[in-house]
Amino acid sequence: MVLLDIFDPKAAPRAIGIDLGTTNSIVAAVREGRPVALTTCDGTALLPSVVYYGGAGQTAVGRAAQARATTEPERTIKSAKRFMGRGADDPETKRLGAYKFATPESESDAKIVRFDLGWTTKTPIDVSAEILRSLKTSAVDQLRSVGGAVITVPAYFDDAQRQATRDAGRLAGLEVLRLLNEPTAAALAYGLEKQKNGLFAVYDLGGGTFDVTILSLEDGVFQVKSTGGDSALGGDDMDREIAERLLVATNVERTPEMVSSALVLARRAKHELTDAPETTVTLGDVPFKVERHEFDKWIEPLLERTGRACRRALRDANVSASEVDGVILVGGATRVPAVRAFVEKLFGKPALDDIDPDLVVAYGAAVQADLLAKSSDEILLLDVLPLSLGVETMGGGVDRILPRNTTIPAGARATFTTYADNQTGFEIHVVQGERELSKDCRSLARFSLKGVPPMPAGMARLDVSFDVDENGLLHVTASERTTGVTQTIEVRPSYGLSDEEVEQMLIDALDYGETDLEARRLADTRVEAERIALATRKALVADRALLVEGELETIEKALESLSAASREAESASPIQRAIDALADATHAFAQRRMNHAIQTALSGKTLTETAERVEHAAGIEAHLEQKRERA
Amino acid sequence: MNDPFELLGVEPKFALDLADLENRHRELSRVLHPDRHVGAPASERRMALSRAIEVNQAFRVLRDPVRRAEALLARRGVRIEEGRDKPADPLLLMELLELGESISDARRARDRIAIERKFSELKARESASVSALGAALEAGEGGDAGAERAVKEIGMLRFTRRLLDEAALALDELE
Repeated sequence: MVLLDIFDPKAAPRAIGIDLGTTNSIVAAVREGRPVALTTCDGTALLPSVVYYGGAGQTAVGRAAQARATTEPERTIKSAKRFMGRGADDPETKRLGAYKFATPESESDAKIVRFDLGWTTKTPIDVSAEILRSLKTSAVDQLRSVGGAVITVPAYFDDAQRQATRDAGRLAGLEVLRLLNEPTAAALAYGLEKQKNGLFAVYDLGGGTFDVTILSLEDGVFQVKSTGGDSALGGDDMDREIAERLLVATNVERTPEMVSSALVLARRAKHELTDAPETTVTLGDVPFKVERHEFDKWIEPLLERTGRACRRALRDANVSASEVDGVILVGGATRVPAVRAFVEKLFGKPALDDIDPDLVVAYGAAVQADLLAKSSDEILLLDVLPLSLGVETMGGGVDRILPRNTTIPAGARATFTTYADNQTGFEIHVVQGERELSKDCRSLARFSLKGVPPMPAGMARLDVSFDVDENGLLHVTASERTTGVTQTIEVRPSYGLSDEEVEQMLIDALDYGETDLEARRLADTRVEAERIALATRKALVADRALLVEGELETIEKALESLSAASREAESASPIQRAIDALADATHAFAQRRMNHAIQTALSGKTLTETAERVEHAAGIEAHLEQKRERA
Repeated sequence: MNDPFELLGVEPKFALDLADLENRHRELSRVLHPDRHVGAPASERRMALSRAIEVNQAFRVLRDPVRRAEALLARRGVRIEEGRDKPADPLLLMELLELGESISDARRARDRIAIERKFSELKARESASVSALGAALEAGEGGDAGAERAVKEIGMLRFTRRLLDEAALALDELE
């Protein structure tokens, strides 16, 4: 422990990056210009993503929880990430595992899978929030004050899985600045020291998810060309391959305890096979020998599945494997020698691995958090929608609204008409996925709009707009124009939590009382007020020439009122009102600034500036060089 | 939607410099992406977001020859009705239908090589169609004959692409 960290109540809040992994979770922050992993409650950088629920409301996270896995498997939740955003009937719940699932009591209940602990149930969101809370506590201990957080998700996560991750962050009391795709985060960590342009592939095989991303780096902009993967494929599946054979060979009774032990032993065997040609594990007094070449054979189908996803991603990006300048390995499972050999053969070149594959994603998240907090304009990440969005058609087919690999933020509009005479309502079902039938895709939202006046078929019109934000989260609004009256509704996905629900859950979690929550809201609003005031002042300095007469005075008055409100208010709402007033006062100015920025961007002036910025060497090219030297 | 050519600040023509287009999109993203407006008031963030969405959509339209052609025609007041996505030339239609048949056959026979061959054949037809489309649009400046020819070429391209998608799907299955 460093003793020099003297407590400073005025310490500026620091943004953090969190890799919320299937197997391990990591929190990192940028210190002195470099990302570093912070020490978790286990005293290490890697916190096992395991939560133990004791009887009297006590919980344990990390190794302390892991220690209970064999004795109390049903109360010890591992790999909760695999269940994020999943319903109670999801096939994932039927795989080899140690816990029980609660039978849903209602239809809305069935939307989220629940772990049955005996006396209570927990959702994967609850479990993830517990892990995030622990990481946040560690970060606060080391950074003194924590600002917003960037949380990573597999690129292939659908809307439900992303929503669940964000909800877990909010439940843990974090301000979620951004959900960042794991491969993009890894690329950011590698391209850190200022860039050489090129085309890269990120092969990310984690504990439970597989992602492949093809992206280009040009003048500080990382542009994802395509992404693909499998959100239920990872190192855990390799463990299962071993465990299944171990259980058969030792012929033990498959109690939850035995299954859990077998999985633990299998993982150990997998790790040992990274360096040793063979290893022996013992279950119920029966020894079981595994040789590496056997293990390689068992996992071949799993690797083939990753290969298929890679080839499709290349095809979607319209490039061939030989055009890729570098391949980045991410995720603990890429330590398996057979995985490396497979990747090198697939892309025809050695892969980059000089940043620890377990930490690289958290590093990238920390860098992005830092860039966002400082509103730096050096680097920009342009990501894509991983899975197509569509609407169910009459026959149960899918009408694609936004295809996969569309750059986000993205939006599309669609018009629906009535198909029967005197039809008085619309029924719209939004789905995500590549399959031809809507029932095979992920159901995101189902909504109906009633009260359409009776008229002949095809006369009534419903405009629906689909917007996907920078986090890959979908927002749907529908407006009906039939009678000239526009009726707009915001559609929430069925599995997401509303702000009110999150607040209620925070109160219920005993972490916050009602008054604490009000205090937190006040503190959050103050921080926001400060941020907006700062941004406004910066804009006034930078774009003074764009102000019209009298505008400066109006804005400064609004700024003064805001700072007074922030100083004097004892609740959040007066500050919020002052924030809104400032936004009104600056609206026209903001519009002018944006137009001006667009003009400048299009005039090409910035092109030469960025070209100069990129002069400073290194980046991925340097890593490639190092790799060549070592080889 | 606003005119995609205007949004990206390029001359409205079919033969666009794609590298330049990509540069413009990148520079606009640098300014408009929501990550650049994290600290701003909510209304400003919404404004940036909707413009970023518009710019991304315009980029998507201009990058794609078919949609670029449609955008050019839209500027001339020519709209393409739905359902007009079949080649008007019966001879060509016949050829394409036969190609489609042979892809289905190869798919059933799980004949990877045959599908790959058809795939390349379709790719070649696709790029020939794109050139023809470009010629029709550039030649038909001001005249209706060019526009008419372009609309036909678009139908042809759309149909070719559907077959390409099918071939790609078949290749996916065989992997």
